[in-house]
Amino acid sequence: MSKLILTVDDSASMRMLLKASLTAQGFRIESADDGQHGLERMHEVKPDLLITDINMPRMDGFELIEAVRSVPEFRGTPILVLSTEFSDDKKTRARQAGATGWITKPFDATKLGAAIRRVCP
Amino acid sequence: MSDELDEIQGIFFEECAEGLVIAEEGLSAMAAGDVSADVIAGVFRAVHSIKGGSGAFGHGALQAFSHRFENVLDEVRAGHIPASAEVTRIMLNAFDILSDHVAAAQSGSAFPDDAATLEQLDAILASKGAPAEPGAPAPVAEADEFGFTPVAAMVEDFDPFGFEPVMVALDDLVAAEPAGWTVRFGPSRAAMANGAEPMLVIRELEDMGGRVAAADTSRLPGLRDLDPEEGYLVWTLDLPASVEEQAIRDCFDFVAPDSLIEIGRADVAIAPPVVEAAVSVPVIEETERPALTLVAGNVAPAVEKPKAEAPAQSIRVDLGKLDQLLNLVGELVIRGSILSDRLSPADQERVELPELSRLTRQIQDNVMSLRAQPIRQAFSRVPRMLRDLMGETGKQVQLVTTGETTEVDKGVIEKIGDPLTHMIRNAVDHGIESPEERIAAGKPAEGTIRLSAEQKGARIIVRISDDGRGINRERVRAKAIERGIIAADAQLSDEEIDSLICAPGFSTAETISNISGRGVGMDVVRSNVEALGGRLDIQSVPGEGTTFSMGLPLTLAILDGMIVRLGKQRYVLPLTNVIETVQPAPGQVQATSPTSEVIELRGQYLPVRRVGEMFGLTGERRPEDSLVIIVESEAAGHVGLMVDTIDNRREVVIKSLEDNLHPIRGLGGATVLGDGSIALILDIDALVVATGFKSALKGMAA
Repeated sequence: MSKLILTVDDSASMRMLLKASLTAQGFRIESADDGQHGLERMHEVKPDLLITDINMPRMDGFELIEAVRSVPEFRGTPILVLSTEFSDDKKTRARQAGATGWITKPFDATKLGAAIRRVCP
Repeated sequence: MSDELDEIQGIFFEECAEGLVIAEEGLSAMAAGDVSADVIAGVFRAVHSIKGGSGAFGHGALQAFSHRFENVLDEVRAGHIPASAEVTRIMLNAFDILSDHVAAAQSGSAFPDDAATLEQLDAILASKGAPAEPGAPAPVAEADEFGFTPVAAMVEDFDPFGFEPVMVALDDLVAAEPAGWTVRFGPSRAAMANGAEPMLVIRELEDMGGRVAAADTSRLPGLRDLDPEEGYLVWTLDLPASVEEQAIRDCFDFVAPDSLIEIGRADVAIAPPVVEAAVSVPVIEETERPALTLVAGNVAPAVEKPKAEAPAQSIRVDLGKLDQLLNLVGELVIRGSILSDRLSPADQERVELPELSRLTRQIQDNVMSLRAQPIRQAFSRVPRMLRDLMGETGKQVQLVTTGETTEVDKGVIEKIGDPLTHMIRNAVDHGIESPEERIAAGKPAEGTIRLSAEQKGARIIVRISDDGRGINRERVRAKAIERGIIAADAQLSDEEIDSLICAPGFSTAETISNISGRGVGMDVVRSNVEALGGRLDIQSVPGEGTTFSMGLPLTLAILDGMIVRLGKQRYVLPLTNVIETVQPAPGQVQATSPTSEVIELRGQYLPVRRVGEMFGLTGERRPEDSLVIIVESEAAGHVGLMVDTIDNRREVVIKSLEDNLHPIRGLGGATVLGDGSIALILDIDALVVATGFKSALKGMAA
């Protein structure tokens, strides 16, 4: 069974781009369009990996990561941040919230695939 | 994949357009004095998203500009830079350049000159002492907040992957023959807590030819004290010398920086104290992340934020699918009318046809509303245009917009942009006076343009009104005579004179100005509006201003039509063109030549055309047995069309002919009538031009 990834991004084009490039690499993709929606979808789809943006309406990526990590069931779920931000400050915040790793946009599809395999058992 | 990418890129540009609308609204609000955190955050997010996508799609120039813009917004958002009037002005300016960048990226045309704006943005950043975020990742060596000192950080160019630099013990590599690699890896508690999986790292190293040489279990406590959240083990792996150091480092991309990671040549001694540092980490983590203590409490429910007023959820749908749905609903409507034609009223009741019709109507309305969008999208480009126009003309104009949430079909929104642009230009160029003139006329120096939209029944009325000088009727009249549009002695009402500015070939500008003189006249505006099934009205009060009103259909898929009969055939005439119908009295229609006829109507002569003949339907009906429908055409003004009878008036679903046939002059499409038969929809302007009415009319005017 291929890995199921939930991508959370408020940009539809980014969601589609992720879906297109990751589906081509054999992953199954579900998506959500903001943190709040992402949290709901986490419970519905229970993905093997969560990839989230940081700047989003309603609930941002930091809040989403914290919320997801506070659910016992998702304590071990790898979470990658995919963001245009790359300041150390933001990365530290994401890490403290419980993120597994950080990837800077724009992403290279092959490298993203490699990164996913690096965290997703 | 490339088709798919094109499609996704199309959506990206739609998002850009939406983002620009949000950013402009926010910046305008800021300019008006609302500098609340929400407003600033909204602008930031919009610009941030544009930046993110632009990188993904390889629009470097757009990405670079939006990045610099975003940096300033970020500082404003953080309160480091005050949202002063000057800062807001520069950001509005930056917004304009951003719009140009988006347009350039979309069309592949030349990028705007953004040097001056970038300089201004950078100046804001610099003057407020905000640290300018460098274009490249900041140098990183600050894992010490975890009480951990990097052994030797030589990490440049490390992004786009990974959090913090990986701690690398690289002492002098003087060995002539590189030895194999020795890697020590001890995942920290934090790494485990964040979902990292040490096994994956080890497996990846093994895939590169690595081999676990030893597993240090000395820190493993007794079973009683074992904390499953803790990382106790430290593995030592040997790797072949041929493996690239970077490849090894990459494996640790997602391992928290407080983990023990040592990469060294086999003959390089490894500093032991690091292990101690790693051990001390859990204490910090424990206090920072109380959530982790939920381990045993499996029953603890997910802590979700209470759902605030859930905003409407939305989904992006391919427009083609909506069109298809609309088409199918159209079919359903048609089948419904067929049923009601064929069934007696009693039978209709028996099979509950009225209820079915009602549901069908509801579905139709709903499907139409799916394509509806707030007209704000069409209005959104006006503020920028006005700023440009003010710069070009030195006039001062404020914009007052109302009704921008009124919803109209997406197709209509796309098509009213050009007429709207032109009318705004017209209002500034011809309507609003210069500040001096205005003051002399006892008006405020700043002119006002009101842009409004409101729905009236099945139509939407868009008004553009200015408080300028109004139409100079003397000059319009003189120009029209000069251009041969009206006779020198023509008696015209004020309204008729005003509408002359929409006559083909008319322009009131004494000299062709940069603004209105772009090769487009109000005649093109009017024909654009009419091509949408709309009407354009002009009202002007000298000295007080001019109002252009566009009455537009809410949708382009359904047409209010008049079904007319020619012989056994039925045709649909768009009702928007119909002025009146006349049952001619004997002698009212007269032949002026073997091929042309006119109708005398209240002292005026209008050309008349037998529609049947145009379509080769022969018949020798006398005008008295026919009906003359007076229609308004863009090309030739009022014209009479002679038909046999009028059946009725109804809304018809427009079916395109061009999907299956070449465009046919004189026909705007087809529809299916209630009895299942097909009726062709007449395109009045094309008909009139195709049959030479224009020359006939010119002859009359001369």
